[in-house]
Amino acid sequence: MTAFNKNNPFKTPEGYFEGFNHRLMDTHSEGNLSLPKKEGFVVPDGYFKSVNDTIISKLDVVETKVVQLHPLRKYYYAAASIAAVLLVIFGLNLPASEAVTFDSLAESDIENYFENNDYDLSAFEIAEVIPVDELEINDILTNQFEEENLIEYLDENTNTYEELNLEDYE
Amino acid sequence: MIVEADLIRQLKDSKTQSQAFVVLVDTYKQRLYWHIRGIVLNHDDADDVLQNTFIKVFRNIDGFNIDSKLYTWMYRIATNEALTFLRAISKKLNLSDAEYQDKMIDKLQADVYFEGDEIQLQLQRAIATLPEKQKLVFQMKYFQELKYDEISEILETSVGGLKASYHLAKKKIEVYLKED
Repeated sequence: MTAFNKNNPFKTPEGYFEGFNHRLMDTHSEGNLSLPKKEGFVVPDGYFKSVNDTIISKLDVVETKVVQLHPLRKYYYAAASIAAVLLVIFGLNLPASEAVTFDSLAESDIENYFENNDYDLSAFEIAEVIPVDELEINDILTNQFEEENLIEYLDENTNTYEELNLEDYE
Repeated sequence: MIVEADLIRQLKDSKTQSQAFVVLVDTYKQRLYWHIRGIVLNHDDADDVLQNTFIKVFRNIDGFNIDSKLYTWMYRIATNEALTFLRAISKKLNLSDAEYQDKMIDKLQADVYFEGDEIQLQLQRAIATLPEKQKLVFQMKYFQELKYDEISEILETSVGGLKASYHLAKKKIEVYLKED
């Protein structure tokens, strides 16, 4: 077999090889597929007559919704402005809050006040306001004494029973 | 039959828009319906998607480029609406797109709005096995007999690419039907 002669006398039409792929696809595609040409889908009777009205009515709703927005917008702005003005007026004229009384204070608030603030009160001044008759020893002592410890102390530090004034507590 | 350029002009004019939309719906509803139906399979779903398509066209007509073709633009919207619809439903049902398609084809036989015979049913099963693009190209070329130029505008794919897709789609369908 002789080698390919580059001085080949044969020619091809212009653009033959450029369009070859496409022509090949087209030729192959045009062959009989032996498949049904219809998909088998059907629609309800009168569907294409009624669908017009359905679609147009929905388009009307879309159009109406778009149109209505603009006229109401200025009313929204006016309402927002009025609400803002009323808020400022009422905010400035709010009545003073009710006077605070001791009843409205929690006990913890009072305790915290005395713990965290230096108050310049003498023992005499404190004694004047505290109802001593209602107090018990454990109300003013931070360290709670056990009853046994109290009895032991009294026993060691008391000479006579009369000093204890027991009759007053019977 | 109204010339497309005139229809577009009337659609963009607020004074003539309403009447022009009646003409638009009347002119294109069937072609768009059958295209959508081929994708979603079920009549009720196709009806929903068709309505959504026209609403989307209505909302976006002002932005439509008059140098483009109205029909291919609407076709593209219809395609996207149908695919979005399918994805939303399969996601809602926690199925993959392919699983949902299989489920819909299983329902076809009992569907009162499907009058196909066994071979038509098998053809739908075969089409369902195709990748999305090949499926669309096959349906548009084989059933709807659109030209490659039109399909190229709708799917924004080269004509050469479409021809290759169609060729591959046909081969796969033939193999599927022979094996079945």
